[in-house]
Amino acid sequence: MSQANTVKVSINNLSFFYGNLQALKNISLPLYLKKVTAFIGPSGCGKSTLLRVMNRIYELYPNQRAEGEVILDGENILARTLDVNTLRSKVGMVFQKPTPFPMTIFDNIAFGLKLYDKLPRSELQGRVEDALRRAALWDEVKDKLNASGTSLSGGQQQRLCIARSVAIKPELILLDEPCSALDPISTAKIEELISELSEDYTIVIVTHNMQQASRVSDHTAFMFLGELIEFGETEKIFTMPSNKRTEDYITGRFG
Amino acid sequence: MVDIALRHDASASPATARLRRYRAQDRMFFRLTLACALLVLAVFAGVITSLTVGAWPAIKAFGLPFLWTEAWNPVTEKFGALAPIYGTVVTSLIAMFFAVPIGIGIAIFLTELCPRPLRRPIGIAVELLAGIPSIIYGIWGLFIMVPFLQQIVMPGLIYAFSGIPVLRDLFAGPPYGIGIFTAGLILAVMTLPFISAITRDVFETVPPVLKEAAYGLGATTWEVQWNVVLPYARTGVVGGVMLALGRALGETMAVTFVIGNAHRISESLLAPGTTISASIANEFTEALGDLYAPALIELGLILFFVTVIVLAAARLMLYRLERRAGGRT
Amino acid sequence: MNSRRRLMRQLKSRIFLGLSAAATMIGLGWLALILGTLIYEGFSGIDLAIFTESTPPPGGMGGLLNAIYGSVLMSTFAVAVGTPIGIFAGTYLAEYGRDTRFAFIVRFVNDILLSAPSIVLGLFVYDAMVLTMGHFSAWAGGVALAIIVIPVVVRTTENMLLLIPNTLREAAAALGAPRSLIVRLVTWRAARAGMITGILLAVARISGETAPLLFTALNNQFWSVNPNAPMASLPVAIFQMAMSPYADWHRLAWSGALLITITVLLLSIIARLIEAQTDRGSA
Repeated sequence: MSQANTVKVSINNLSFFYGNLQALKNISLPLYLKKVTAFIGPSGCGKSTLLRVMNRIYELYPNQRAEGEVILDGENILARTLDVNTLRSKVGMVFQKPTPFPMTIFDNIAFGLKLYDKLPRSELQGRVEDALRRAALWDEVKDKLNASGTSLSGGQQQRLCIARSVAIKPELILLDEPCSALDPISTAKIEELISELSEDYTIVIVTHNMQQASRVSDHTAFMFLGELIEFGETEKIFTMPSNKRTEDYITGRFG
Repeated sequence: MVDIALRHDASASPATARLRRYRAQDRMFFRLTLACALLVLAVFAGVITSLTVGAWPAIKAFGLPFLWTEAWNPVTEKFGALAPIYGTVVTSLIAMFFAVPIGIGIAIFLTELCPRPLRRPIGIAVELLAGIPSIIYGIWGLFIMVPFLQQIVMPGLIYAFSGIPVLRDLFAGPPYGIGIFTAGLILAVMTLPFISAITRDVFETVPPVLKEAAYGLGATTWEVQWNVVLPYARTGVVGGVMLALGRALGETMAVTFVIGNAHRISESLLAPGTTISASIANEFTEALGDLYAPALIELGLILFFVTVIVLAAARLMLYRLERRAGGRT
Repeated sequence: MNSRRRLMRQLKSRIFLGLSAAATMIGLGWLALILGTLIYEGFSGIDLAIFTESTPPPGGMGGLLNAIYGSVLMSTFAVAVGTPIGIFAGTYLAEYGRDTRFAFIVRFVNDILLSAPSIVLGLFVYDAMVLTMGHFSAWAGGVALAIIVIPVVVRTTENMLLLIPNTLREAAAALGAPRSLIVRLVTWRAARAGMITGILLAVARISGETAPLLFTALNNQFWSVNPNAPMASLPVAIFQMAMSPYADWHRLAWSGALLITITVLLLSIIARLIEAQTDRGSA
């Protein structure tokens, strides 16, 4: 298994600051092509922050800055010269709470597609349908593509958001606790989806649910107080962690 | 530009063109919003500048004594602001004298006593009334309240206070119906919904646990209101009252109808008087001569400064409250 | 002894609560009285002529057509000019400025303009427009009203945009949308209902404004559609007619007052309904 691993993203000596507060300390780890990597750790450990560096979404806010390197396909995405919108159009992101845009289901998906590609109507429809199929939502919404995205149930909304990210054929998909606001049945559907998507996409998932991490991920990074404590294959992390703190956390002794 | 080539192998140049267009759009949009924000400041600065320029002849001619001169004579071109300033302040004080206790009473009633099903309708009624334009209050005051005051209330007041030293002078003279007192009453009615609506909103920010704790100690409903809710909400209530005061000071139409427009200071509250805004509304279009209009504009400038100070203080208090309310959640 | 004190405290509580109930009755009763007389006096004067004839000379017959036309025209102009400015400025505060010192100053000045005496704003427009143009005009009246519209729209726009969760902006940004598109296509749309509410409230606010029109649009006894000339408006017409000694004019003034009040109440109620609708939608 590890033989086939190609590095898609390599994070080198990454530090992150909220004003004067250092939230990430010298993080280095690889993300492998078409694999699912889970970031776990107690709240405030920096796992979401690390995720938010990878599409530079933190730049929406003043006083937040990152130092170090994040190399995606050979290019440092933290470089000043890189256009941030171009970067984001190559990285999909799904948030804790579903974020359907206040427009129709169709337009929700088409929104990202229209940004950087001028597609003829027929191709646009094809891409939207394709994305909805990939997110296992097509059958549920194919008859009401003109209904508002906000009219869907919570689980459907979250799959809509996944479809929206997949539609732009991203190099990398970032999932920030995508199931924390969902019921168990919707959660199961999304987890299934993640496994399917990992056949084609490189995926990072932040989760506070360790069972989820062990179910869906190939690799796991355990973080604590802004530091990367341990990184390795998920099976190994959950069966024989080499660090005492990792062991304490996954056995539920804290956090 | 490796990154673009990655996704758009065949179409690298349209993509860069689009990127450039987006950047230009972003910049344009940002500048447009910034320009409009600056326009808000420009209006404010423009008001001050144009009033100062317009008032300059009067400022130069009368100097500071303008503020404490009572004379107002368009024929001899002798102008002083004392009477309108006096009228503005006194009508507003009368308004607050009536509106504050009643407004707070309504807020207490709405948050504590009112049966639940009635709470929303009454609350909404109060808010809707706060939006009724002041000219409506003015016309009502002129046609309904003035005759009533003239025939019943004023004679009654004059008779009732005739033996009491200070009050005897405050409520003296023939009952005209119009005058300072009437204007104050109309302002009170007008600011009432405003004060109750704000006070109620502020009362609702009081955390229920605070009240529950006091009730738990055996405090009566009134004691909870007086010793817990009011002190907690003090800043907000004072801010709301000052906001209402700012409105009352600058209010034109509700006052102009009923004040009588007399440029003099009478001992009696029942006598006709004038306010700054009423003077401007009544006289500005007829103000001929080199100093008449500038004197009126100077009045406007004074009014603007006073209301800005009152409103600024009110806003700062309310901001503080918002931050506290925001910080808690 | 102790129980007597408790009794006294209860009594005191009852008395004061009774007073607060009485305050509510006085306040609401008074306001009901105002609306009651307004409806009674206003309706008795309303007939078809109100909407088909212009304001009459003293003692003559007539209606309010020219004043209604003037009010509608100047309000429309004020909204057309003031709304975009207000929306952009509010957008600056909510989307770009946020916690900066400059945004604080703009917000503060805007809040002051929101309740500044409207007659002073009228003086400003008189100085800036009437004097430069050399005559009173409906344009000047419209500008004076626009200056009142702006702060109302700025405030509601900012408030409504701030209610939009940041994750929605992040979600759009994560797809690579540039900032201006995020605002135009996502946040504005999400805040649309609230922003419309703000515009309706601004219209309600200016439809009764009198003071800023007194020496900008002035008044006009006759039918006139020329925006470059003095123009009648409902509030100013009411003011003039109410202050006159003629009973016929008084009746027209009452009818005009009723029209304004109905307009304002309808606008506020519609604004509320829209607000309630969206509250339910987002919950």
